[in-house]
Amino acid sequence: MLLLEARALSRSFAAAGVVQTVLAAVSVQLAAGEFLVITGPSGSGKSTLLNLLSGLDQPTAGEVRFRGQLLATLSATAIARLRNASFGHIFQTPHLLPDRTVEENVALPFQYGSACPKATMEARVSELLTYVGLEEMARRRVANLSGGEMQRVVFARALVRQPEVIFADEPTGSLDAANSQRILQLLQRQTEEGRAVVLVTHDPQVAACGTARVHLEKLPLPEEVRQ
Amino acid sequence: MTSTAMRTDFADAARGLLRRPLRSLLSSLGIGIGVTALITMLAISEGAGRATLARIDSLGLDTLRLERVEPAEGKAMVGRSGDLFLEEVSDLQNWLGSRGVVGAFVRQDGVVVSSADRAVSATVIGVNIEWFAAEKIELARGRSLDQQDLAGQRPYAILGSGLASQLQVDPLATLRYGGHGGQPVSVVGVAVAKGRLLTEGTGLSALDFDTLLILPISAVAFRGGSSGRLAVDGLVISLHEPGTVLGIAEQLETLLQAGHRQPGDFRTVVPLTLLDQARESQRLFAFIMGAIAGLSLLVGGIGVMNIMLANIAEQTREIGLRLAVGASPGRIVSLYLANAVLLTFSGGLWGVVSGVLLALVVEHQAGWEVYFSPTALLVAPMAAIFTGLLFGLHPAVRAAALNPAQALRDT
Repeated sequence: MLLLEARALSRSFAAAGVVQTVLAAVSVQLAAGEFLVITGPSGSGKSTLLNLLSGLDQPTAGEVRFRGQLLATLSATAIARLRNASFGHIFQTPHLLPDRTVEENVALPFQYGSACPKATMEARVSELLTYVGLEEMARRRVANLSGGEMQRVVFARALVRQPEVIFADEPTGSLDAANSQRILQLLQRQTEEGRAVVLVTHDPQVAACGTARVHLEKLPLPEEVRQ
Repeated sequence: MTSTAMRTDFADAARGLLRRPLRSLLSSLGIGIGVTALITMLAISEGAGRATLARIDSLGLDTLRLERVEPAEGKAMVGRSGDLFLEEVSDLQNWLGSRGVVGAFVRQDGVVVSSADRAVSATVIGVNIEWFAAEKIELARGRSLDQQDLAGQRPYAILGSGLASQLQVDPLATLRYGGHGGQPVSVVGVAVAKGRLLTEGTGLSALDFDTLLILPISAVAFRGGSSGRLAVDGLVISLHEPGTVLGIAEQLETLLQAGHRQPGDFRTVVPLTLLDQARESQRLFAFIMGAIAGLSLLVGGIGVMNIMLANIAEQTREIGLRLAVGASPGRIVSLYLANAVLLTFSGGLWGVVSGVLLALVVEHQAGWEVYFSPTALLVAPMAAIFTGLLFGLHPAVRAAALNPAQALRDT
């Protein structure tokens, strides 16, 4: 079943009067249970593509469809609802609310989107903390966690709304080998449960986990910049 | 937006503000000072207004008061061309007819009044019978004066309640007033306590009803006049229809001038006119006070906006995270408006407390009357909330407009 489809995506950024194209005419398809890996050197637009696919950014040209629905036609509120209900995000640096506990951070997506009974919410958070091995740390402030633990909190948060697609932007980039392996295993288990995963990496070993791959090359700088 | 979402945003906003307690405190300080100014100024303005209204009300809104202007030094007190005589008062009453009553009086202040064993200084006032109705004097004990007392120049007196207490006398007692052994008078009644006329700022002589010794105008020892005619010191005209006060005041001026009197011979006070003037002054005062307090709130609001913008600049990644996990732009606006409202409302609350305290200090130290209107106490925190919404809107909309991908990359 096709979940996500991107056609001829381009993204340019204007800075100091110079327009630089980061991504040009990239097309991607993603089915349920698929593990898509986006690879390429630094500056090739891997994260940009991920942001466009997950609705965090809008393309300069091209289109992204989720379950056939064109994202560009959705209102900001509808895209927010989609991100909340259907997408989960894991970032390279673990973005967390530092003054909150582990369980409060995991439960953050429940603050938005459709309402969920408190008991269901608490059960889901507890289940996920057990899943990522942080059940003992539920009440600890995230500021006191190690990098690997923080990334597992982010992972649990990404799963808390039972999304259809998980977007992971170099999730192992700042982790040691053991923690990296753990995160990758968790992601692979998600695909076994029918979720799609889109993962950005420049690490060939991590890329080997994927079932499909998109490789991006860095586009040449505009003439004005090269001079 | 649901109430649960709003509660969540307020709780999040409160936690966010507690992350930087000093910054939040300083930010709410501006609004607090604005609200303090608002509460204090409204209390002073309202207190001053009420004092003025009470003063005017004590003069009677259905009355006109005329008082002879004391002649300049060296001029004869008696027989002046500007005098108003008692028989003219009767003419005036006939002219007025059923529209009201004309009370006339002569008075002397600082007169020694003595009973068998006590002596006090009081105001002695000689009145016509209509004066009791015009001043709405009621008796606590004994009887009032009547036309026979007036016609017979009987030395009968009514005592103000305070004077009766000071002298410890009741009806049928005999008193003496004035110098050289004094004039004897018999007390026939004691008036109900009425307080004093609040004449400050009106040009009228002060009059405390409770310390008066009231005699028939024909019987007072110090009355003036010429050719056997009795001159009065003043009039109190009480009208049955308060709406006729202004028209009758104008006609009265014409009548007085027709009797060879000059406009300066008598001071005419129309409390209703004073009321209009007082209301106009109060409106102006309230406007100036409100403008000053409004400016304070404006300054406070700008401070809040500044802090909000600084907070948002610091929390860009957090905003990006919230957007990534599904916060709509509306929820980001709600979160930062909640931030601004919490800052201004907390400032508003302690502003109300400190405003009340400051107004009480002013009342105690300066002796100004202050009044805390429930509306003002309610409006001030509401004004603070409104300021928060007004000055929080721009930063909140700015936060909601952030591109989530760029916000997450913010360093």
